[in-house]
Amino acid sequence: MTTSVAALQAALAAEDAAIFGYGVAGAHLTGSSQAAAMRGWTGHHEARDALAAMISRLGATPTAAQASYQLPFPVHDAASARALAARLEDGVTRAYLGLVAVRDQQLRHFGAMAMQGAAQRAAFWRGSTEAFPGLNLLARSVSPLGRTRAAP
Amino acid sequence: MPDIVPRRRILLASATALPLLLVAAGCRSQDVFAGPDPLAGPPPLGHDVLTLQAVIAAEEKMVELYQTAVVADPQALVRTRMLRSLLAQHEQHLAQLRARLVEPPGQASASPTARPAASTAGPPSGPGPASTDLARLRAAERASAASLVRRLATVPPALAQLFASIAASDASHVTVLGG
Repeated sequence: MTTSVAALQAALAAEDAAIFGYGVAGAHLTGSSQAAAMRGWTGHHEARDALAAMISRLGATPTAAQASYQLPFPVHDAASARALAARLEDGVTRAYLGLVAVRDQQLRHFGAMAMQGAAQRAAFWRGSTEAFPGLNLLARSVSPLGRTRAAP
Repeated sequence: MPDIVPRRRILLASATALPLLLVAAGCRSQDVFAGPDPLAGPPPLGHDVLTLQAVIAAEEKMVELYQTAVVADPQALVRTRMLRSLLAQHEQHLAQLRARLVEPPGQASASPTARPAASTAGPPSGPGPASTDLARLRAAERASAASLVRRLATVPPALAQLFASIAASDASHVTVLGG
């Protein structure tokens, strides 16, 4: 079983990457999309601060964010910015899976709620949902309906 | 030949005396033989099995709710397509949950009514298909997500991850349903 500190550090790293990525995405968005990106950026900041405090309470040092992150693809317009935001939320969801598996029940709860927030934001950006956010369970049984388009 | 009768008497006396000795000593068969008592029936189901059964029952209700919603609104094609897609994801949840359920022989064929109540895990019950609407589906998704998170504390890590992922999926369904 992953230790609590290791799981918290992994979630912290994902939050730091999301903060950086939302900064890039937000620069290519306008109107309500930019407002949503700002809310996402703020939410990830708050989560990062909460995770850093938890790590410190356990006697460890929160790992500092990187100065820069490699983007998964070029971001040059609103469509790619939305795709980046969705990708960031996918990464955050995966990272919190480790926290859900630790022994501490409060950390499990925190991780599960963070996964829900990230999955909801991913659904907003992508306009679709996943059957198993964060998990890779469908490699052998992908359904054509496994990814759900939202109604316009 | 003359010693056959005494041996029979000894055997009969022993067979008669052993239960009496056990009773006198306050012993039951479980105390004498270590391990499960073959006469006591199947052992009680473990906590994980009971939890999975309850979650599966709740997911079955969710699938039924979506099936009802799809049938109730066949004219709204865009909405129906979305509902069918969400239904497919709930069916995937159900398949993964069932794949993790290992019941003792004789238990798997139990009727759904013999399973533990889904309690708050299931979608809220309501009137007939005509009244099924998006608000009801959103409420059911929220209730399902909350129930799964409440169960996290008492299940093994791998099951906790599956429950958390399904809860996240349920929460994202609320988003695309307009919540």
